[in-house]
Parts: sequence; C-alpha cells; structure tokens
Amino acid sequence: MRAVTRREWMSGAAATALAGCRRRQPVQPSRVMIVRAPAYSQSLYDVVRRMLGELRLDVRGARVVLKPNLVEFDERTTINTHPLVVHAVLEALLALGAKEVRIAEGPGHRRNTLELAEAAGYFETVPQFEARFTDLNVDEVVPVMLDRPRSKLRRLYLPRTALDCDWLISLPKMKTHHWVGATLSMKNLFGLVPGAIYGWPKNLLHWSGIPECIADLHRLFTGNRQRPRLFALVDGVVGMEGDGPIHGVPKPAGVLAAGYDLVALDAACCRIMRIEPRKIPYLQLEARPGALEPEAIQEIGEAIRAVETPFELIPQFRFLRL
Amino acid sequence: MTEAILSVQNPDGGWPYRRGGPSWAEPTAYALLALEGAAGTREATDRGRRFVESLRRNDGGLAPHPAVEESTWVTALYVLLNPADADEAALKWLLGRTGRESTLLHRVRMKLLGVRDEYEAAPPAWPWYPDTAAWLVPTAATLLALRRVQRRRPDARLAERIREGERFLLVRRCADGGWNHGASRSLGFQSFSYPETTGLALVALAGAQAPGMERSLETAERHLARCRSAEGIAWLEMGLRAHGRTPARVPEAPVRTVMDAALRVLAQRAAEGANPLLS
Repeated sequence: MRAVTRREWMSGAAATALAGCRRRQPVQPSRVMIVRAPAYSQSLYDVVRRMLGELRLDVRGARVVLKPNLVEFDERTTINTHPLVVHAVLEALLALGAKEVRIAEGPGHRRNTLELAEAAGYFETVPQFEARFTDLNVDEVVPVMLDRPRSKLRRLYLPRTALDCDWLISLPKMKTHHWVGATLSMKNLFGLVPGAIYGWPKNLLHWSGIPECIADLHRLFTGNRQRPRLFALVDGVVGMEGDGPIHGVPKPAGVLAAGYDLVALDAACCRIMRIEPRKIPYLQLEARPGALEPEAIQEIGEAIRAVETPFELIPQFRFLRL
Repeated sequence: MTEAILSVQNPDGGWPYRRGGPSWAEPTAYALLALEGAAGTREATDRGRRFVESLRRNDGGLAPHPAVEESTWVTALYVLLNPADADEAALKWLLGRTGRESTLLHRVRMKLLGVRDEYEAAPPAWPWYPDTAAWLVPTAATLLALRRVQRRRPDARLAERIREGERFLLVRRCADGGWNHGASRSLGFQSFSYPETTGLALVALAGAQAPGMERSLETAERHLARCRSAEGIAWLEMGLRAHGRTPARVPEAPVRTVMDAALRVLAQRAAEGANPLLS
C-alpha cells in the first residue's frame, strides 16, 4: 500500500472536519471583477485603472501598501507578480488620489530582496523603485495578538509598514501550490511575516498549520476595523501550473481579477483555474457558510466560465479538479 | 567602506539592515565583525556591543530585535562575536537546539502517520526560530561560531555538533553542487542553488573533507561570474578562498545594505588572508 503523504493526510483531515460542520445558507454575493488581459503590455495601465474605477476603490488621501508576490527568480518560468501589473496598480492609485503608495514584500526564500526585485524587473519597470520599496523581512516590527486563532499561534510579530497603512492591497500571481493547492491573494499574506525573526523560509507558519496561518493572517485584517482594509488584484496574465509556487511551468490564463473580499476573489480564481475552492482548506476556514458556492460570486466584467483555463495539478492534488 | 558602515549606525548603538531601518542583531553583529580592529571605531563598536548585550535573554540566547521576546538563531552571532569569552549560557542555548524534524517525538509521529521525510538521513542542525526545522543559514552561522570557540578551547560537545552540522550541509546540497535556503529537493524536483547561500555554506565547510567539493567550488565560480549582489559576491569570494581558490575576477555590485558593506570588508580581509570568520 502506498504511504500517505503529509499533504494528503492534512488536506483530507481538514476537508472532512470542515465539510461536516458547514451547512449551506444563502449568502450575500461578493463582487469580483474579471477582465481579459492577454499580455503584459502598456494596455494593462488602462485595464487596471478601469477595474479599480469600476470597483469604486476609494483611496483618496490614503496610505496604500502594495504587496506583490516575490519569491525567487528563475528566467525559465514565471514565479513573481509581473512588475508591469504592480506599476499599473501604483499609477492607478495615484491617479485615484492616494496620498502615498508603497511597495512592500518579504520573500520567503531569498534573503537579498533587492537583488530578487532587480532580477524580476522591478527596478526597470517601476521608477524610483528602491525609494518606494520596503523589505518587510527587516522592517520595524510590532507584536500582534491573534484573536481566536485557527493555527497554533497566539502572537505574531508583524511589520509596521503593513499595519500602519489605510489599505493593504495583495497583488499575487495566479499559481498552483504544492502544499495548499492554489496560492492567490490570501496565501500572499505570508509575505508579511518578517524573515528577520522567523527565518527564510518562515518555517513557523508551516509547523503551525499552513491553511490555519493563512486564515489567521486574513482574519487579522478582516476581523479588526482598526487595521488596514484589504483589497486584492490577481495577476493571471501568465500564471503557473504544476509544481507551483516555484517549480511549476508558465500558464497563460490571460486575466486579471480583483475584489475586496479575498475569499470570494480566491474562490473565483480557483474556478478560473478549474480548481474546486470548496476543497481548499484555507478557503473553508475563512468562508462564511455558502460563500464558496458559485452563486456567492457576483461576476463583474467577464464571466468565470468565459475565461476558464484548467491549470495542471500535481498528482497529489488531482482531487481538487473542478 | 568603514565610514559607510559607521554612517548608518542607529542612535541605540545597533545597525539596521538598510539605512533608516530599525536595529537588528544580525547586521549589528556583522558590522561589529567588519569594524574589528579598524582605527577610530572604538566608541561606535562599544555602543554596538552594548546594543547586542541588551538583546541577551534570561535563557542564555539572544533576541533578534528589541521588541522580540524569544531567543533565536542570532545567538550564534553572539558567540561568533565573543569566541574567547563566549559564556556557557549562550553556548548551552546553541548546543541545546536542533531542528524539530530531528526530534524523536517528531520522527515517531511521522512514522506512525506513514509520512515520508525527504531528508531522513540529515543529522540534527539548527533552526531559525525555536521549535521549527533546521535550515542552511542558521546552521552555517552556528558552525562558524562553534568553530571559532573550538579553536580557542577544544570541547568534545562542540566537535560532535560541528560534525553533525557539516553533514547536514552536505545532505542539503543541491544537485548543481551549490546551496539554497536548505531544501535541495521538493516533491522529487531538484531545487537550484543561490549565490549567497552557496558562498556561506562553503565558508562554513572550510577545512571539511567531503566528496563533491570540487563541483561545489565550480558552481560557486559560476555564480560569482554573474552575481549582481554585493552580499552574494562577498560570500562567494570568502567561500572560494576558504577552500584555497582565488577568484579569477570579482565583479562589482552596488552596496545597498549594511550586510553588503560589512561582508565586503570581511571579504577584503579574507583576500588579505585574515578572514575574521575563520580566525
């Protein structure tokens, strides 16, 4: 008999436990905007501006932190959020009246964040990138107590830059993930956790339960009105399939997706990738009853069905196929 | 470069990773190592050492930042800074730490669950943060620290942990001969190495006789030829020199961080035959 892997055991246990205690109820749909974006071109600037305008993102006078997904650089694949997407969002926010827009990230493997950003094209694409950038791995830290945590954590040190802004905007890459199935706007919050305390990788999060830590980080913002509001825009122009988030292969999906409700946005992106969101443990943990059902997503722009692009899944995750 | 390091010292005596940031144990330790013996730096280094001392904790370890209430891997840097009079409490803290994956409880649990461990052969090494797995940087830093103490006062406990740490680094070597953060394989996929961790691992393995080192040195030379970070270049240069290789050409790169500047000074010292990390 084949040995059960830790991933299969954890996914199965979490899915079984959670499926049993959720009852389907009517839910107020969350707006998710999906737009076709076939290439990383100058037209992205207009597309992004239109998306943020349509979603009525009010950032007038606000301090905004953009949190892209910078992990490693490998010219053979597409690991990181494309810098053109980040710059398009930055420009759109400034045009919408944001007082300050910073780019901030704390990569989980590479310690030399600036070198990674340079290799990934950020210096070339974003004017004055270095002055706009905060390395969250080494920023000033604040201890934060977790309210009713799902993970084993009770307290986390988090970077002041991410806590002191008005809006925290998650800008992930649309990728499969070899531990949690899919990495999107919620998993991207792992980059907030400072490496200078927890290391590279931020292994404490792994030992404390990856889905549970994703849920805790998300709730840290959604469960406290004193904290920055969340918004997210997913770079699905070219995503990653297979053994993501690093060793997978590029997968053009030709979309950008955005919304205020990160659970709904990630669920919509899973459906675009033909992944069953109801089987993703971190979505199960954070979704209100019924929120992972198709009708809980109010599609604006393109319909999910019109842009569906099945992402290849590693064998351990084929059970996630929608 | 000494001036550049001094110019970013914070009022609390510590150094930030980047100019204007908060003081952390790691850049402070490397700044102090870089300033060791430099003329006109006494007042700054005294303040730096006081900052480091302020991070000591009752359990013998060192916290990475004043706001942090746990001792972490940076305890190795404390010992590295104080090899002659490393106090027993700090050494005991370091010797008492292993990656959680090598604890008996974890191994038994994984066995019972039928979970395969990709690194079953890896000996105990050091984690970044207590009660988590062992990784490359904290292990390499601890090896450097323990060796620095061992050279001054040989101790069988240290010798054993040094041997285990070296074996750990060799088990976690990537297929290309270099090192990354410490995961050479993932789900059967081979991971690629990074410049800075390849250089650091080579420094930590100075003097170690192991198969495949020639390939590792060739990988380091390849990394060095195209490396664009001052930190990576410095570690690679020190790593090659630690194994008797003189780099054919050392590329230039912008010095952006305190680590960049401090490591460049240490690499210069290594080129002069006196690497403080190996003295």
